[in-house]
Amino acid sequence: MKKISLIVIKSNEKVKISEILGGSNLESKLLSMGVYKGKPVVKLSHIGLRGPVVIKAGRSILALGHNVAEKIIVERE
Amino acid sequence: MIKKIYLIGNPNVGKSVVFSRLTGVAVISSNYPGTTVEIAKGYLYLEDKKVEVVDLPGTYSLDPTSKAEEVAVSLLKEHLKEEIAVINIIDSTNLERNLLLTLQLIEEGFPVIICMNMCDDAGHRGVHIDILKLEKLLKAPVISTCALTGIGIKLLTERIKEVASLPRGEFTHQERWLEIGRIIEQVQHLEHRHHTFREVMEDASVRPVTGLLMAGGIIYAAFKFVRFIGEGIINHVTDPLFINIYQPLLEKLSLYWQQKGFWFHLLIGDLIDGRIDFKQSLGVLTTAPYIEFGMVLPYVVSFYLILSLLEDIGYLPRLAVLLDNLLHRLGLHGYAVIPVLLGFGCNVPGILSTRVLESKRERFIAATIISIGVPCIPLQAMIFGLLGKFGGFYVGGVYLVLFFLVIILGVILNRTLSGYSPEFLLEIPPYRFPPLLMLWKKLYFRIKGFLVEALPVVLLGVCFINILLYFKLFDYITSIFAPIVHGLFGLPKEAVVALAIGFLRKDVAVGMLMPLGLTANQLFIGATLLAISFPCVASFVVLAKELGLKGLIKSTLIMLGISLIVGSILHFLILR
Repeated sequence: MKKISLIVIKSNEKVKISEILGGSNLESKLLSMGVYKGKPVVKLSHIGLRGPVVIKAGRSILALGHNVAEKIIVERE
Repeated sequence: MIKKIYLIGNPNVGKSVVFSRLTGVAVISSNYPGTTVEIAKGYLYLEDKKVEVVDLPGTYSLDPTSKAEEVAVSLLKEHLKEEIAVINIIDSTNLERNLLLTLQLIEEGFPVIICMNMCDDAGHRGVHIDILKLEKLLKAPVISTCALTGIGIKLLTERIKEVASLPRGEFTHQERWLEIGRIIEQVQHLEHRHHTFREVMEDASVRPVTGLLMAGGIIYAAFKFVRFIGEGIINHVTDPLFINIYQPLLEKLSLYWQQKGFWFHLLIGDLIDGRIDFKQSLGVLTTAPYIEFGMVLPYVVSFYLILSLLEDIGYLPRLAVLLDNLLHRLGLHGYAVIPVLLGFGCNVPGILSTRVLESKRERFIAATIISIGVPCIPLQAMIFGLLGKFGGFYVGGVYLVLFFLVIILGVILNRTLSGYSPEFLLEIPPYRFPPLLMLWKKLYFRIKGFLVEALPVVLLGVCFINILLYFKLFDYITSIFAPIVHGLFGLPKEAVVALAIGFLRKDVAVGMLMPLGLTANQLFIGATLLAISFPCVASFVVLAKELGLKGLIKSTLIMLGISLIVGSILHFLILR
């Protein structure tokens, strides 16, 4: 198991959320939207030049700004 | 005794559609989170008693993380729990995410009835939910509805009285997600499906290469359609009506006018070569209705048709993802495309919807950019009507100038304003295809709104202008501002009147440029300046409301400065 940031992994990779850095505000916001520690997610796409990352969590599709995605640490199976 | 009913739910689950169904009050609903920025209220009859129904902005939980959520939660706690009923609206296609709020509502003892909305869409996507079991597990009434078609709404109203307050111990979000996992396992059955065409398109529209190609195509097609439909209505409906029916009628009427004095001037205006010219006569019965019905209304119809379609399908949040990058440079984030696009219809709803942005700084930047660089559809319609005949080059030129202006202004504001802009975090809704009837309803609602607001102002405005012109009261203002307008901008000094009228309404202001016989280049400068300079009085009021006095003054000074600079530069570049 290797822990890396959501922006590093490739599109279409399936990972598990391991940690959310950057303060409790962001963490609780993501938590209420269904993105929390242990949740499996799929990275759908990443718009280049520090653009947003799109992920699928459960049945929701979420767009995360680059700086948010950077703070989401995931682990590969 | 239920005294008040609240509608609460995650963003974009169709609360506003349920609200319209329950109360008969028409509100705008779209397929993106954050459509409802103002709290809507209506009434419902429960056993012959009139009960107030409140449509709250969407929220993911009862611990608010944004301003809209804060509003929703504080309103919910205004009354005693025994006196209210809470309709928790859930998107059936995404039960899991929605249940967090449901559990919280139940835990805190709110008398909840659960409305499993979009049940038809869930069926299409192979999502099957055991409603009875869910009802048992949650110990609250659960009703399956499809608000778009009205299925289940009657049952919902009948069962509202069953709500009860059953508070239980509070959990943490982590514990709630675990419980939700257990519930989902018992009640939800997912049919295994291959990717449908719809899902492939959903994915493609947020991937870098395919997404940008689609965005380019859609924006281009949308613009072409707006022009095509707008022009079609003008050429085949409104112009024939005005020229073949209305004009002969008016000309007959004017024959009975022996003395062409004040009233003739006011109602009919000036005759051009002995005939009425709808574009130049400037009368309350001639140019005023022609501007509104013959030039602007066709484009209002075509613009809102296309915008409503894009809204309801759910394309706009995808555009937000693709433009996040660019908008970041301007101190905004992707979601600012929603207020900006609404601003292209009318600046007022555009500025109002800047509330979807979280920080004050973002709202200031977005509102300022909208009021300076985003021309409303009535203004655009007049620009098409006037500049179009000189070629697309001039029309495109106006947009190009505005585009660069917005970029430069945004970059400067982003670098100079203090504070920070929060990050982009947005749920992307699936594509949905609403029934045509809903689209028509929304279009009708928006066009009615436009006519109710615009028509009195236009008629009174033209009346007022004519009185001032008749008694030559404009001469004073004209002589004061002539050096700026003539010297700096290269426009004839009569254009002062048009620019001043811009404060009242932009379409009438461009209309005032029509009789001046300007060259294409002068018209181009005049139209661009009208787009940049003062917002009309309606946007001004909203701007004051949203930004406060200090923000308004700041925004206005920026606007005046830019108008002077851009006007002079264009004059220097083009006319010299």
